[in-house]
Amino acid sequence: MKHMATPQAARETTVKAPTRRTLAKQQTRAKVLAAARNLFSEAGYEGATIRDIAAAAGMSTGAVFANFSDKSDLFREIMMSDIAALIETMRDAGERGKDVDDAILKMFTAGYAFYKSQLPLARAAFSVGWSSDDGPVLRGLAGVQRLRELITEQLAAGVERGELSQEAEIKLRAQMLFDTYLSNFPQAIFEGWSLDALQARAKDQIRVILAGARRG
Amino acid sequence: MSQGVLARSDSAALAAPSGRASKKAATRNRVIDAARALFDTKGYDGASIREIASQAGVSVGSVFTTFSSKGEILSEVMQERLTLLYAELDRVIPHLRASTADRLRSMFAIQFAFEASHTKLFLAHISAAYDWTLSSEARPFGRTPRLRQIIRECLERGVEEGDVAAGVDLDEVVDLLLAAYAWVYRMAAWDGADVASMTSVMDRQIGLIAASFRRP
Repeated sequence: MKHMATPQAARETTVKAPTRRTLAKQQTRAKVLAAARNLFSEAGYEGATIRDIAAAAGMSTGAVFANFSDKSDLFREIMMSDIAALIETMRDAGERGKDVDDAILKMFTAGYAFYKSQLPLARAAFSVGWSSDDGPVLRGLAGVQRLRELITEQLAAGVERGELSQEAEIKLRAQMLFDTYLSNFPQAIFEGWSLDALQARAKDQIRVILAGARRG
Repeated sequence: MSQGVLARSDSAALAAPSGRASKKAATRNRVIDAARALFDTKGYDGASIREIASQAGVSVGSVFTTFSSKGEILSEVMQERLTLLYAELDRVIPHLRASTADRLRSMFAIQFAFEASHTKLFLAHISAAYDWTLSSEARPFGRTPRLRQIIRECLERGVEEGDVAAGVDLDEVVDLLLAAYAWVYRMAAWDGADVASMTSVMDRQIGLIAASFRRP
């Protein structure tokens, strides 16, 4: 019995110890991410330093670097979790659409509503998205590609239902719709447009982009 | 009252620049010249304020008394370039003889050719506009009223000549064209697309947008 108990106890501690460590590490990461989210929203991407983020999280810069390789790594992590939530929201909204135009409009509106409460962060994302170093990384995120695919899928469904013509150049139109969706953010960020105004504008834009694709 | 006095003394200063005013203007020009050269060779991120100052033969301090940030210097450099581009468009556009869609295609082709060697700088400029580094007076690229006006005039001519339907919301078409334009830009900067492929993708997008405004 005695010689059995020892290895088991040893095994338990080796199993437990990393769990505690993993848990602590997760908590540290979550704390850093929350602090980083606040600072990116307050000071922008360029304005937020790792030092400030560490101070806000109540830890040393070394502790931050033990969890994230650099500032862009932190920002990417925040974007990835937001985009994952956004994909769910937009997909669900699209499924409630009456027809192709309506489905895409509902998706866009859900996206605008999602960011309406955190426009400063959206602004930082645009800043990073246009920068030559981090832009391609941000755009290349699987989630971003997935958002565009959601639009493509709605257009394909429209073709299947016979709302759009077979020759509708779905991929190009999906790309244009996605860019149009993004291009309305400056109105929200700089001009303070309401959700209703964004929705009305998007509705017209969708109509225009799909105009040449209707059947018949 | 004091406003009026201020305005008068301002115009007096313009008429006969005081020693200090002309010195300030000279510093400004030297900084812009140095920045233009450094941005072209090292990119926006690669060129530091310290280098710009030393190249211009002025102190870092006097760069900052003239400009609020590096983003603002970039904005000035780009504004200069855009002025040249718009002058070129103003010269060429009256001679274009074709459908509205084709005139738009020529216009954007001219822009891509003009900007091709500076795409990264244009992107840096857009990125800076979303960040907190640009002062509110600095004019970010992509929100330049002059470009909107040029595109709008092209569409208005289409309405006059009868190949753009009369009821079309022209501002909306301008927005869509600018959104498409922005996307093609990123393609160039990140995927290394050349002027020919940028132009061909833009041509297709113009075709799709034109399907919505063409007179039936």
